[in-house]
Amino acid sequence: MNHPTPLLALRDLVVEFDTMAGRVRAVDGVSLDVFPEESLALVGESGCGKTVTALSILRLVPQPPGRIAGGSIRFDGRDLLALPESGMRAVRGRDIAMIFQEPMTALNPVFTVGAQLGDVIRRHQRLSRREARKASLALLEQVGIPEPGRRIDEYPHQLSGGQRQRVMIAMALSCGPRLLVADEPTTALDVTTQAQVLEEIRRLQAEYRMAMILVTHDLGIVAETCTRAVVMYCGQVVEAATTAALFSRPHHPYTVGLLDSIPRLRETRLAELPVIPGRVPDPLQLPAGCRFADRCPRVSAECRVVSPPLVATADGGLVACYHPHP
Amino acid sequence: MDILQYALRRLLAGLPLLLGVTLFSFTLMVYFGPDKTFELLGKNPTAQEIAEVRHQLGYDRPFVLRYGEYLRELATVDFGNSDSTGERVSSLLARTIPVSLALELPGFVLGNLLGIALALLAAYHRGRWPDKLIMGLSVIGMSISFLVVIFVFQIWFCTSHGLDLFPVRGWGTASLADYLRHVTVPTLAMVFVALGYNTRFYRAVIVEEMGRDHVRTARAFGAAPARLFWRDILKNCAIPVITRIVFTIPAIVIGGALLLETSFGIPGVGKAAYEAIISGDQPVLKAVVGLTTALFVIALLVADILYRAVDPRVSLE
Repeated sequence: MNHPTPLLALRDLVVEFDTMAGRVRAVDGVSLDVFPEESLALVGESGCGKTVTALSILRLVPQPPGRIAGGSIRFDGRDLLALPESGMRAVRGRDIAMIFQEPMTALNPVFTVGAQLGDVIRRHQRLSRREARKASLALLEQVGIPEPGRRIDEYPHQLSGGQRQRVMIAMALSCGPRLLVADEPTTALDVTTQAQVLEEIRRLQAEYRMAMILVTHDLGIVAETCTRAVVMYCGQVVEAATTAALFSRPHHPYTVGLLDSIPRLRETRLAELPVIPGRVPDPLQLPAGCRFADRCPRVSAECRVVSPPLVATADGGLVACYHPHP
Repeated sequence: MDILQYALRRLLAGLPLLLGVTLFSFTLMVYFGPDKTFELLGKNPTAQEIAEVRHQLGYDRPFVLRYGEYLRELATVDFGNSDSTGERVSSLLARTIPVSLALELPGFVLGNLLGIALALLAAYHRGRWPDKLIMGLSVIGMSISFLVVIFVFQIWFCTSHGLDLFPVRGWGTASLADYLRHVTVPTLAMVFVALGYNTRFYRAVIVEEMGRDHVRTARAFGAAPARLFWRDILKNCAIPVITRIVFTIPAIVIGGALLLETSFGIPGVGKAAYEAIISGDQPVLKAVVGLTTALFVIALLVADILYRAVDPRVSLE
């Protein structure tokens, strides 16, 4: 594979939260690269740190109680963690845009769609109100909102969930970002809308030639949408591979468990859908070695002593396991 | 047109409230309130004299009739003459209400504006020292009795123990300087106390709004803090703020500020109402209670219409 310079490079990112019970490392040494125009999936179950990783790219981790405690985030050669807050504001929405999980609450309820879109456009581009409105209309049209001329003057509560998410997408596209961070963009939508919105995101990503990080727990979405995937468990990356390799030949026992637990059509006895035994460890009392050890069918004594490092696999991916599946 | 229709409907719906409050307070007034009779009579009156005065005051008529008359007075906003001074109630109110308004308006406006400004500042620096300082001061404002604040301010500003800049008592509006001379110290006392409550309340409202998803979205798209607070957050906070402000207006217009008016010897409506309560001056009491209720119904309506203006999700149904 030919590897150009990454657009975004996370190195050893550590994000901590101060909780009543103590300090929790939600993200613990995550490194990943996103290359121009590619779509990377960030996969894992709830609480594995994928959303926090996504938020920290734009330095949006709520602070306090959270803080980025270590590592670096380089975007297009610039260290985002070293930027002053004003410099970061110029990046947000213009170079990197983010769309969120809950379209119901992510838009401001007391301003019209047009006002919110126009606001973002005028923040990053020198346009008059009229020009911004024209641009907003064009964007709404582009993301597939019917009757944009009417919708532009409506408030978020007058739109359906899918339409609101489309407005979010329009907002994200408005300044032509080079990276789109989509945090579970379809999770809150109903199934048919999910498919449409996802299709829209995929189409626009290609059209705008953006790179994308898609945060999701849904492996089906990964398979449909992304070229590469990074699997997270307990705040760490456990496996990274191209989507094709990940689905055909997963290496980490956790990835294998995730893939096995997807229900398949035509399977006769759905009741026997395998699940990964055990529970995610308490983030306040993480085990010394591999964090998946207690749930892992391939565990050995070695696993409980030192956490396995990420190593390259034969098919060009990365895996953090002493006993990976071949 | 929509709003007019809605307003009419709401005012009609406010009638039962008006009837309930007036009936309740009138019952209290008639059966449990002070009796004017003996104040008007000299020592050792005869039974006939008593009956005569009671007749003059209308105390001997049946309750239902008297209440009906009250309602008629409310409808025509004509409450007759004061039992104490014989002054027309309407002219008494016309004399005292403007004084109370002039006295309280500066403190009311400043107390809310400064409250919101300080709350924004505290919320913006939440958890850090400006927040702690502002919240600490607001607890002081809340904790000290209004009466103590008034006395201390009077000593500080109005006597030779302090700055001795303003008169301790009295009222005058002959000129702007005269007005300022009399209104400054009461306003300071009012702002000091109001700020405590207002700042805490507004800060809580703002902090809650700051945690909302749409605020994170605005930040994710590069909104600067100033814009975030002034536009995105403040407009979303408008409903609780409007509620708090609009609902204190009836109390200010009719209730006056009894403590301020008595402590500073200002002839406002609060003082007039207080004197009416003490002496059992029923015509004045009826007017004060009835008009407060009516204003409250109007305030409810105004608040609802304002909600609609700031929040598109509210519909006037």
